[in-house]
Amino acid sequence: MELNGQLALTVLMGLFLVAVAAWLARVENWRSYTPLGSGGGGYGQESGYVSQEKPSGFIRWLTTVDHKDIGMLYGAFGVTAFLVGGAMVMLMRAELTVPEMTLISNQFYNSLMTSHGITMLFLFGTPIIAAFSNYFIPLVIGADDMAFPRINAIAFWLLPPAALLIWAGFFPVPDVIPAQTSWTMYTPLSAGVGQGNQANAGVDLMLLGLHLSGISATMGAINFIVTIFTERAEEVTWANLDIFSWTILTQSGLILFSFPLLGSALLMLLADRNLGTTFFAVDGGGPMLWQHLFWFFGHPEVYILVLPPMGLVSYILPRFSGRRLFGFKFVVYSTLAIGVLSFGVWAHHMFATGMDPRLRASFMAVSMAIAIPSAVKTFNWITTMWNGSIRLTAPMLFCIGFVSNFIVGGVTGVFLASIPVDLVLHDTYYVVGHFHYIVMGAIAFAGFAGLYYWYPIYTGRMYQRSLAKWHFWLWMIGSNVTFFAMILLGYGGMPRRYATYLPQFTDLHQVASIGAFIMTLGALIFLWNFVVSWYEGPVVRDGDPWDLKEDSLYTTEWEWFDRKLKTAVADGGEALPGGEESDAAEN
Amino acid sequence: MAVKIFDRETILDLTVNIIPLFIIGFFLGLFLLYQAWGWDTLPSVLMIGLHVVPLVTLALLTYLSGKAIAGSEKTGDVFHQGQALVPGASEKEHGGAEAEPAIAEAGDEDEDEESGTEETRAAE
Repeated sequence: MELNGQLALTVLMGLFLVAVAAWLARVENWRSYTPLGSGGGGYGQESGYVSQEKPSGFIRWLTTVDHKDIGMLYGAFGVTAFLVGGAMVMLMRAELTVPEMTLISNQFYNSLMTSHGITMLFLFGTPIIAAFSNYFIPLVIGADDMAFPRINAIAFWLLPPAALLIWAGFFPVPDVIPAQTSWTMYTPLSAGVGQGNQANAGVDLMLLGLHLSGISATMGAINFIVTIFTERAEEVTWANLDIFSWTILTQSGLILFSFPLLGSALLMLLADRNLGTTFFAVDGGGPMLWQHLFWFFGHPEVYILVLPPMGLVSYILPRFSGRRLFGFKFVVYSTLAIGVLSFGVWAHHMFATGMDPRLRASFMAVSMAIAIPSAVKTFNWITTMWNGSIRLTAPMLFCIGFVSNFIVGGVTGVFLASIPVDLVLHDTYYVVGHFHYIVMGAIAFAGFAGLYYWYPIYTGRMYQRSLAKWHFWLWMIGSNVTFFAMILLGYGGMPRRYATYLPQFTDLHQVASIGAFIMTLGALIFLWNFVVSWYEGPVVRDGDPWDLKEDSLYTTEWEWFDRKLKTAVADGGEALPGGEESDAAEN
Repeated sequence: MAVKIFDRETILDLTVNIIPLFIIGFFLGLFLLYQAWGWDTLPSVLMIGLHVVPLVTLALLTYLSGKAIAGSEKTGDVFHQGQALVPGASEKEHGGAEAEPAIAEAGDEDEDEESGTEETRAAE
């Protein structure tokens, strides 16, 4: 009886999928998309097929292969995931205001912690970077579109199912609970052995979702490598390639070498969980094998996330400093150096595992060496601003915030690279504070610098500048209050990942939570500003809303935007919005 | 016409990667000369490999990227980042100070050195 019910449900779902496929096939003439064969459009132009063939409304977003639309989809997805991941951590920070469990169970705390990490790294970090790279790199390098527009679309559309799988445990599905493995998924806990509850299908679904997001990232990376190598306009030689494209190229190389390894390790783990293999079993390959495989991916992942934001800052910060980027080629070469060296430092995450001291010392040496290229960039940003004509616009503030937070996050990281220091601070809140300075204080700040800087291009309107500055200051203060308190907690010996703590840590935990609530307020202001300005902000009619021409810092994407405004091609059959003129320039 | 790619300017640009190469080389030499934990074939060979592989890979990538960037710099027009396709964008002065103010204002003698030699690309 039960079997028949399942069979009926399967048949019903199959029919539903066939109906969806048939409907999609009807609403759009798929053969009309001839992205590269058409030869339409010069550099940075709206290619002919795009404006003529794009369906209007909702269907446009489901069927688009235009790099700008896909960039927008990545952006919407990334911001949504950021809000979800942020809500998760706010529940955790609320719980951590008191030492004992009050609001939520400790299992639910572990679930939130796991999901917060994976959501922010894989569903916010990578997609928000892909939003900028998809939208702007073809414009800046003079390509008609990405080299493989359909693969680009597929890469994006793998992400929503990946997110659903990763979050599946939170949905009201009977007998499925969220993963509580933390984002590092260390075995044997994640292998589901022992007395715990991690043999649950929720962990399998999370692993599958993570694998899917890895496939998406790999497809995107291949696309970017091919696009930057083969689709550049003649004038855009290697010497003329902008810094953001260089960082995306390097990031794509890192993805290409590291994500397939994560995928393989995940499949091995799934096999251990479901097929009785012993890749990571104590009597088999051993739990240390997982740690090596995971961190061989995991450390490059850190640079996968931080290099493009460094590129964004290197691209945006000089525009509001009234001068060129100091030492442009230093930044390019150091980006490449970071790319290579990032594969030689993975075991500095494992100093406390009891590995051979000779290996430990080797990883320390390379970890020290990788600090140099990062420091070089920091000095370049500071020197660019030195004696410059600085305009404290919202994107510039976020860039300066990036540099400031990156210095704290970077310096605390150099200490962790030293074996004796790491052995004391390993698995404490110091580590949590260090990497949050990087991922939130730097990476997210650069992401929001980009969102504000190019807001006029992708919305055609200007945001409310005072609200954007409120957003920045709340975040700058909030992030430093929270993450510095975490560093102090670490010095005090507070272990990470715990849902409860000793009463002596209460004050600093409460300070950290206050900072997190300040950041939440900033995020709400951002959301309000972002959405309301999109509908009601002053229309930008000038292709140079930041007055970049004054300092000869005008770049290709703004020139494209200016031409778009002047030629006024109706996009997707919609009327152009009217409204008052923008006085977008900030002083 | 043969162009010398690895001239003084290019080498100077590449110092940013030569320093980490030096650090890795220094530690490799140190660990080989002073073996605090003795010699054991497997861990010791792995230790050498963990230094040599990043060292060689970084040296190779630095050489190739230097060749690509400096090579195209010396054989084609060079613009500031993101401006190669902007009509009327000024060319970058080879070897010039990159943090100079981007534009020289009329009558400002202090800032004339860069603008004086600028060429301007014809607007399309």
